[in-house]
Amino acid sequence: MSADVNTTLFDATRLEELQQQKPYHPWRKRTSRFDVSVAIAVIVPVLIVVALLLLTDLPGALILVAFYLPLQLVAAAGAAIATKGRRGVLDSVIMVLAIGASIFSFVVILSVLFSLVVNGIRALSIPFLTQNSTYISPSTPLEYGGIAHAVLGTVLIVTISALIAVPVGIATAIYVTEVRGRAVPYVRFFVQSMSGVPSVVAGLFILSTLILTGALQTSALAGGLAYAILMLPTVARTAEEVLRLVPEDLRTGALALGSTRARTVFKVVLPAAKTGIITAMILGIARVIGETAPLLIVAGKNDATVVNPVSQPISTLPVTIFENVAQPYPDAVTRAWGAALVLMILVAVLFTAARVLGRNKV
Amino acid sequence: MATPDLDQRDLSAAATSNRGDRVFNRVITAAAFIALLVLAGIAIFLGAQAVPVFQKLGWSFLTSTAWDLTTDPPDVGIFGMLYGSILLAVVGLVIAVPASLLLSIFIVFMAPRKLASVLTNAIDLMAAIPSVILGIWGFYLLNPQAEQWQELLNKYLGWIPIFQNESGNFLGTPFIAGFVLAIMVIPITTSVTREVLGRTPPELINAAESLGCSLWTMLRYVALPYGRGGIVGGIMLGLGRALGETIAVFFVLKIIYDVNWYHIIESGGGSVATLIVSRFGEASGPFEVQLLLAAGFFLFLMTLIVNVIANLIVSRTGRMKK
Repeated sequence: MSADVNTTLFDATRLEELQQQKPYHPWRKRTSRFDVSVAIAVIVPVLIVVALLLLTDLPGALILVAFYLPLQLVAAAGAAIATKGRRGVLDSVIMVLAIGASIFSFVVILSVLFSLVVNGIRALSIPFLTQNSTYISPSTPLEYGGIAHAVLGTVLIVTISALIAVPVGIATAIYVTEVRGRAVPYVRFFVQSMSGVPSVVAGLFILSTLILTGALQTSALAGGLAYAILMLPTVARTAEEVLRLVPEDLRTGALALGSTRARTVFKVVLPAAKTGIITAMILGIARVIGETAPLLIVAGKNDATVVNPVSQPISTLPVTIFENVAQPYPDAVTRAWGAALVLMILVAVLFTAARVLGRNKV
Repeated sequence: MATPDLDQRDLSAAATSNRGDRVFNRVITAAAFIALLVLAGIAIFLGAQAVPVFQKLGWSFLTSTAWDLTTDPPDVGIFGMLYGSILLAVVGLVIAVPASLLLSIFIVFMAPRKLASVLTNAIDLMAAIPSVILGIWGFYLLNPQAEQWQELLNKYLGWIPIFQNESGNFLGTPFIAGFVLAIMVIPITTSVTREVLGRTPPELINAAESLGCSLWTMLRYVALPYGRGGIVGGIMLGLGRALGETIAVFFVLKIIYDVNWYHIIESGGGSVATLIVSRFGEASGPFEVQLLLAAGFFLFLMTLIVNVIANLIVSRTGRMKK
């Protein structure tokens, strides 16, 4: 690697070429020449593109990709040559592309959120949030029926999965950071591999082990177990990161006072990492709350409100969205958007809570 | 203030001398192996369903592209879907990898601190958007938009084989599905590459800059070689996600039981995960459910291999840095 750097910078055959290049003085004050070149590089391509948009009837997307982007790249390269010489060209190209990629991701996020609000807000009403969907078909007008049963179902299933995955996840983290047994690298490796299990496979696993064997029905408990498989790695990895932040002095201090290992963990380490542990739980819930495929397979759907977690199929927000998308009835589609908006609000609340807690962890 | 360097083995030996602690250690150790238990359980239970399928159908389950249970023996195979999964993932990565690299370069080396943190948060939020929401967005907003882009691609670049379209139908194409996958892969890959590039030792960067390197030269000879392992690992993690994604692809892709070799802007394609969801609701009987479980077994194998390789690469580069 270092040899590469040397040959690039001090290649004797290129010496003459390098000497002919304009010297680059980064310490000098920014000149008006710099400002003017940058201004030209920004304004000229935009002007040309606006002119193209107004004068021709080419589609906007084509103009943006086929005219604006190359023009902007050429203009930026030109400005780079004018101010820094040839070696600035690639820098300015990267700059333009990187800004382009950033704008692209902002546009995507804003487009998703904006479409959710615009399309979902029409569905939101008191009955939509408080009623269930019994006697409701896709063609029923929006004034009737709601998604309260689906919200309840999602909450029920997420609660079940958190009750299973959070203790196991924290125990896994404790094994890695506190017990520190011989198998630590393997345990971390299994947890990481588990985080790559596709959600649909988690559903199929519960189907083949518990439902096809007759141990469980299509129900909230089955859904919760499938969710727990997806939630466990997130909780374990986040909890591990937080427990690592607990100062080693606290542990040795507690042990020196004669505390047992178990007491040290429960009375010192876990309380010290309390907010971090809650963050791990929230991130785990946010990870699974929108997963649809496993619930389609093991939790099913139900238009009525279900509170019994083992007796019958149960509807959830993602499955409600799934059922209503692509229906030929506009009201059903609006219901799907409404359910999606409610789901996104739940995710956003969890996301913000994790951020606020994460700011002052340990 | 330096703490005395305690030998960890002494500590755990002291800890296990207490009976309560022995129980505690056993319980925690048992819990830690649940991850392994689940992984093994998935492999065994889904694999057990694949055995009778193979006994009945033989290798044609992996080589056939049809899904027809009315003939005897049934003409059923997942080749088209396996190939489709890979095609979609490749399309997704072709979009996502350059975007993620540029994003993380921008965040780490170029953007002012405020903008960098806004961008980081935005990308984390992108990762938090549930796939079902990206699916509904893809179906109603992206589909009509992308239809125009693809018509233009076909009109001006149609002489390139991958941009051919004979049917004139530009909806539900692998390109659209790959685009949605890219939106899911970008946050994963970006968060890994951003971290890896951010860990480039500042003394190396400063040395490069004081030698007069431009940003590109610094990236080319210092930052990118230094973070190569992590970047490859991040891409592999994204690939694993793309292979396993179900619902969003199900919404935007028109599923056909045939192989769409490379016509990425031609309507129709498939993936193993979407096959499972699309057939499960209308499965004709226990045998078809068994077929889907066997398909799930191969999906699991495929993603597991990709993820194991990815994690090995990422953890090895992590160790090198210490």
